[in-house]
Amino acid sequence: MDNYQLKKLTTALIGFKRGLIMLFSLIILSGNLSAQDIKVSGVVRDVQTKELLPGVTVTVKGGGQTVRTDGNGRYEINASAQATLVFSSIGYVGQELAVNGRSSINVSLDSDIQSLETVVVQVGYGNLKQKEVTSAVAHVDTSQFRQSGSRNALDLIQGKVPGLQVTRTSGSNPNSSPSVQLRGVVTVTGSASPLYVIDGIPGGNMDLLQQDDILSIDVLKDGSGAAIYGSSANAGVILVTTKKGKPGAASFDYNNYVRKEYVQRKPNVLTAQEFRDKIASGELSSSRADRGYSTDFYDMMINHDNLSHNHNFAMSGGTNNTNYRASVNYRNLEGIGLENGRQEFGARLNMNQRGFNDRLNVQLNLVNNFNNANLLGGGAWESELFKNPTFSNFNDDGSYYFDLQSTNEYARLMQETSFRKQQTTSADFKADLDIIAGLKGTVFGSYQRNSWNDSQYAPQDSETSIENTDYPGGAWAAKSDFLSQAYAFEPTLQYDRLFAEKHNFTVIGGYSYRYYKEEGMSASNRGFINDLFHEDNLGQGTALIDGRAGMGSFKNDNKLIAFFGRVNYAFNGKYMLQAVIRREGSSRFGTNNKWGNFPAVSAGWNVSEEEFMQNVNFVNYLKLRVGYGETGNSGFSNNASRVTLGGGGRYLYPDEAYRETYGPNRNPNPNLRWESKREYNLGLDFTLFDQKLNGNLDVFQRKTVDLLDTYTTPQPPFIQSNIYTNVGTISSKGIELGLSYKAIDKKDFSWSVDLVGSTTKNTLDSYSNDIYTLDYKEFGSIGGAGALGNAIVTYEGERVGEFWGKRFAGFTEDGKWLFYNRNGEAVRNDQINNSRNRELTDLAPIGNAVPKYLLSINNSFTYKRFDFRVFMRGKFDYDILNTMALSYGNKVWQGNLLQDAFTKYAEIDDTYMYSDYYIESGSHWKIDEVTIGYTFKLPATYFRNLRVYFTGQNLATITGYSGNDPDFIQDTGLGPGIDSRGAYPSTRSFLIGVNFGF
Amino acid sequence: MLAFASCTDLTENAYDQMLTDDFYNNRNEVLSAVLRPYTHANAWVTPSGQDGWWRPAELSGDQLAWPTKGRHGEDGGKWKRLHYHTWTVDEGGLNNAWRLMYWGMGLCNDPIENLEARESADMGISDEEKAAFIAELKLLRAFHYLKLMDLFGNIPIVTQVGIPAQPETRPRAEVFNFIESEILENVNQAPVLSRGMMGRMSQAGAYAMLVELYLNAEVWTGTPRWDDCIAAANKLINSEAGGQNGTMELDPNIIDQFKNTNDLSKEVIMSIAYDYTTANFQPSWPGEFFHFKQREIYGGARNGNNGIVLIPGVYTTYSDQDLRKSEWLLEGTQYNFATGAVVTGSEEYNERPLVFVDNIRRNSVNETSSTMSDGEENSGVRFNKYKLGNQLVGHDGTPIDLNYNNNDWNIYRLTWIYFAKAEAIIRQNGGTANQEAVDLINTCRKRAFAEADWAANAYTPATLTLDELLAERGREFIFEGFRRNDLIRFGKFTSESWWDHQASQATRSLFPIPQQQIDMNPNLQQNPGYN
Repeated sequence: MDNYQLKKLTTALIGFKRGLIMLFSLIILSGNLSAQDIKVSGVVRDVQTKELLPGVTVTVKGGGQTVRTDGNGRYEINASAQATLVFSSIGYVGQELAVNGRSSINVSLDSDIQSLETVVVQVGYGNLKQKEVTSAVAHVDTSQFRQSGSRNALDLIQGKVPGLQVTRTSGSNPNSSPSVQLRGVVTVTGSASPLYVIDGIPGGNMDLLQQDDILSIDVLKDGSGAAIYGSSANAGVILVTTKKGKPGAASFDYNNYVRKEYVQRKPNVLTAQEFRDKIASGELSSSRADRGYSTDFYDMMINHDNLSHNHNFAMSGGTNNTNYRASVNYRNLEGIGLENGRQEFGARLNMNQRGFNDRLNVQLNLVNNFNNANLLGGGAWESELFKNPTFSNFNDDGSYYFDLQSTNEYARLMQETSFRKQQTTSADFKADLDIIAGLKGTVFGSYQRNSWNDSQYAPQDSETSIENTDYPGGAWAAKSDFLSQAYAFEPTLQYDRLFAEKHNFTVIGGYSYRYYKEEGMSASNRGFINDLFHEDNLGQGTALIDGRAGMGSFKNDNKLIAFFGRVNYAFNGKYMLQAVIRREGSSRFGTNNKWGNFPAVSAGWNVSEEEFMQNVNFVNYLKLRVGYGETGNSGFSNNASRVTLGGGGRYLYPDEAYRETYGPNRNPNPNLRWESKREYNLGLDFTLFDQKLNGNLDVFQRKTVDLLDTYTTPQPPFIQSNIYTNVGTISSKGIELGLSYKAIDKKDFSWSVDLVGSTTKNTLDSYSNDIYTLDYKEFGSIGGAGALGNAIVTYEGERVGEFWGKRFAGFTEDGKWLFYNRNGEAVRNDQINNSRNRELTDLAPIGNAVPKYLLSINNSFTYKRFDFRVFMRGKFDYDILNTMALSYGNKVWQGNLLQDAFTKYAEIDDTYMYSDYYIESGSHWKIDEVTIGYTFKLPATYFRNLRVYFTGQNLATITGYSGNDPDFIQDTGLGPGIDSRGAYPSTRSFLIGVNFGF
Repeated sequence: MLAFASCTDLTENAYDQMLTDDFYNNRNEVLSAVLRPYTHANAWVTPSGQDGWWRPAELSGDQLAWPTKGRHGEDGGKWKRLHYHTWTVDEGGLNNAWRLMYWGMGLCNDPIENLEARESADMGISDEEKAAFIAELKLLRAFHYLKLMDLFGNIPIVTQVGIPAQPETRPRAEVFNFIESEILENVNQAPVLSRGMMGRMSQAGAYAMLVELYLNAEVWTGTPRWDDCIAAANKLINSEAGGQNGTMELDPNIIDQFKNTNDLSKEVIMSIAYDYTTANFQPSWPGEFFHFKQREIYGGARNGNNGIVLIPGVYTTYSDQDLRKSEWLLEGTQYNFATGAVVTGSEEYNERPLVFVDNIRRNSVNETSSTMSDGEENSGVRFNKYKLGNQLVGHDGTPIDLNYNNNDWNIYRLTWIYFAKAEAIIRQNGGTANQEAVDLINTCRKRAFAEADWAANAYTPATLTLDELLAERGREFIFEGFRRNDLIRFGKFTSESWWDHQASQATRSLFPIPQQQIDMNPNLQQNPGYN
């Protein structure tokens, strides 16, 4: 934020402060004790553990004093003798007790995290009890998280939320993030990432989250819930709540794990000896050289000594008025590749202070994460798998072997460096003020900062330096900086009121100001005369003097401003209605469409509360939800609507010097606006069979209109040949099911099963309007040699992820490809019509890359102090293009080959071809995690708990797919289902962890 | 209220981008916008390797072609369709030419609008400079329309960015009138040609456009304008519109206009300026003409796609005494510049000498068929008119050329004006040359012959027939982009046959309005013969 904006913000804040002061005066005047009140006191315990519970809220029903229990579970409150006290605490079933003149009331609360009655769900700018929710919200808490060590918080909920795809295309690479997609593809060129909200910080940085600091994750899946986040919500909203301070005795928690990974499912290539034998036998042509070495290049890239560990130490405590939680985290994640790691130190502090007669509650969170990453390794798997194995990384004298045709990747890892030093910080401040009974004002502000400094160096004897033509033997160095800053200021006013004991209203209104800015610079230089400086004295390279050094910088920002409101109305706890409106503008929108409206409405009916359900005994709880909501996507480039000037190359000025020329490089689109999604959701929440089975079922239909893409413009009158504009429509519909079944629930033994499943159909409905037309879009570059183009063609009105290609018809006697033409005749490739015109083409739809069904099942057992968990995940009914077989199951390649080239694919004596021959089913079922834990019985009262657990991850995959691990193949976006020729190795990992509380 | 307004302020910042509103604040910014269409014109007016104006203007004629050579050069049949005049209404290359030229036209409209909307003082220039810049841009815009009209005939006229949304086709005569009036209205406000105006549109360029316009007026409007043509030509011949190096006059030889120091030429009227040495801006035509291993022949860094060659027989239209034959064309065995060794081929003549031959057939397999499909890597005589110079020391001791790769590409040169004036005189004279016309042509032609050979090669009023004038134009202006235009004016473009080309239909003298554009703008009308 520059000075000008800071000033504006300050002005706004001063205005707000004045309002607050007036409100304070009102409260102080009204906050008097009623004369007939008596003093009631007592303690609150946990029913099972008998532990005293701190931080339990005790209120006088119908308005009056609110207090919290202290560190010893004790409370004291003033109430009338006829009053009813309400005891509530997160994670416990609330209780109401009449005072009946008593001055001492002790209470035991039943903890039941899973109960719909008590689970509190974040819905954005507030929370609701699960029972009150009318939109599709998924809630995942700590106990359900995956336990195999997360790199990113999203790893914790993979397979835990129906309809949410979390895909790790880079496997366990510690320097990668998963791709996330909720309910299908919603955009073609816009941002496809969900909005992450961490403790209220919109656009929160997931790098700031350590798994042991997270309390729960809520996912706003449908438009009726997500509309409160307006133009950032098309791809869904993921709300993360971290653990907070609680009043009471000091508590300390130490959690750790140690993890070791092993390569599994390594592509099956020839050994050097097999390679040699095949040349000798003539199976491989003698054009291949035998250098006489035997090298497993792939294996040389593996970090066999990898060991990752994570440590989190947290403490919390305090009084009713002042409490905190602080944690420090250290983790060292070592990838399966050499020089591929990440070391992080982080700290998180939560402070809570109450004041003003308990009317003011201020919360402060400070989070910091320092990351030192080694970015050098983790790639080049393809080249190392398929190099001629009779070559070596070394010359006979022990020096590295270099040639111009390939890169010695092992030498690169040993000689070069590439580091990132990153700091990520967030600070947020939230002040809640109970203004008058039921009316609460909140001011929320946050600041996030992410910066890194990258440095790279290739010494004089590295291959890149030696083979450089401009400065042979001169070292190369580069540095770059990045800084992003995100500000949010979101004041809200909330009013809760129960009228006539039946009509419960919660109204919230607010303003949101979000500002994001990023900037960076980079410089590189070459031709250093020795290796003394590395990247520490960039100016010394010769290339700078010759005008061939690289330098660049950038800076951009954007702003989102919104006014929003939400009304929740509940009648008698039976009928609920929610309406949401957000009016939001973005600096990115064109001048004619600066502001958009995002309304939503949803309703819920707690059917089980009805009289007629009282005799239906197998139903404990049943709620029907229906919702409609509109959201937007403002995630596209800055200045996309405006004409910017671009350099057109240097030209001759009158003084005979050549200087840059500038002209418009974009057509203006003052109508440019958000992509807009409209979504219907129908849901059912239920608990059946004596609380044994509970679950939810959602059916949705969503349509995103005004999709953004680049279209060809008529010239004249436009200067440029294309425009970024809102044209197309994409839609999806699907069914999502979450089930939780307590099969056995005995004192010493329990078994429960959780099932999460979904199916989605995603269609690109249209890509044209009156002015701009496109019949189809191509996606999914096949890559590799042979310029095979794109594998996926999505025609208007067709499903996303459709493979269009040739249909294999066999081989000729001499091993040449034959394909079917549109008349069903087997013809040679040169007779195939490759047109995209469906009336002419010989190509056909040959598969679909979008998994039709996603399913995961978790089995949890406890036996006495043992706990045991088996988590399985799978994707079903979809296809993958086996590009590895396409390229390396074909003897055309001169380097190493898959074993399959001599068995399954032995017949081929022809060039690379894309056809259904290489399309395989990707369906698979994976035993993702098995965890066994033991909780010790601790003698001393100082120790709260000690659990040791052991997890095995990625233990087995049942699949017919013959390429790489199908779990790691992209299944999100518009170009899914293309296997990688050099996938990051799939690993099986084993982990030992300790949870220790005292 | 102030606080409230700032709470809803969604102004977008630019930072590392430039916006028109923040621009035009000083002379260099103004110049950078005024000069933008010239770097763009590199793409369409020169043989840049893109489908612009140059390719259809030359490859549909009787001098140059891009035949398929072995496994190279088929390129979806686009070269054949140009040669055979069988281009389609949705021909990608023609749509690209349209796009590039109208894009360039838009790059003129934009600074015209912006200059007109601003006070001179705010831009750090004088009122005279502002008027001169606007005049230059309007003339340059007229140049775009002239070349668009040359290819497509009936085209929309747009003088504002984005307005109207769907401009209508205007008949060719109206386009002609628009271009003429734009030139006449602006020529006097534009600067005369000087060294400071090198590579740009000036009064000299404006008169050259008028010469071209009037020379073709009979074809383009039905009304001949020979007197106007002669009058405009005289402005240049008499050096009344300036010169890029003092008085405008013909260069004394056939080299100075094309060499890598041709910024010193006195006859260049308008060019696209290149400077590799200081600006890293190099001519883009080697891609079109050079063999895959041309750098060995020239001792340079640049190779090409082994594309455009002379149609068989064109080479022999030059007499052996004609210096243009040896100087501007490359034929025969090729030698390595640095070593003197024979250069070998990389395709059919891999490991065998590379000999450029005046025929297009598969000699390596003893085939005698000669069509657009029958080329091989050494087929056809090659371009050698502009010479980049050498980066290496030659085997004969030639030192490194410090001006390597700096050649400007001529759009108009005075020789062409001489020829136009002569033609106007002859046509005005009923198709018969008089001495004045003969003198104009002979003044130019004389430079291409040794003193001793000249007498036998000089024209007389009897020998300089219109057919001979066309042939001489071909020899003089080969590669310069005018061949299609000449053939049309001489009535031969669609009626004659040459080499692998058969006579086409009269309507093929205009290219079709690209169907891709009609699909987006229903107010465009297709040219006759294409529906």
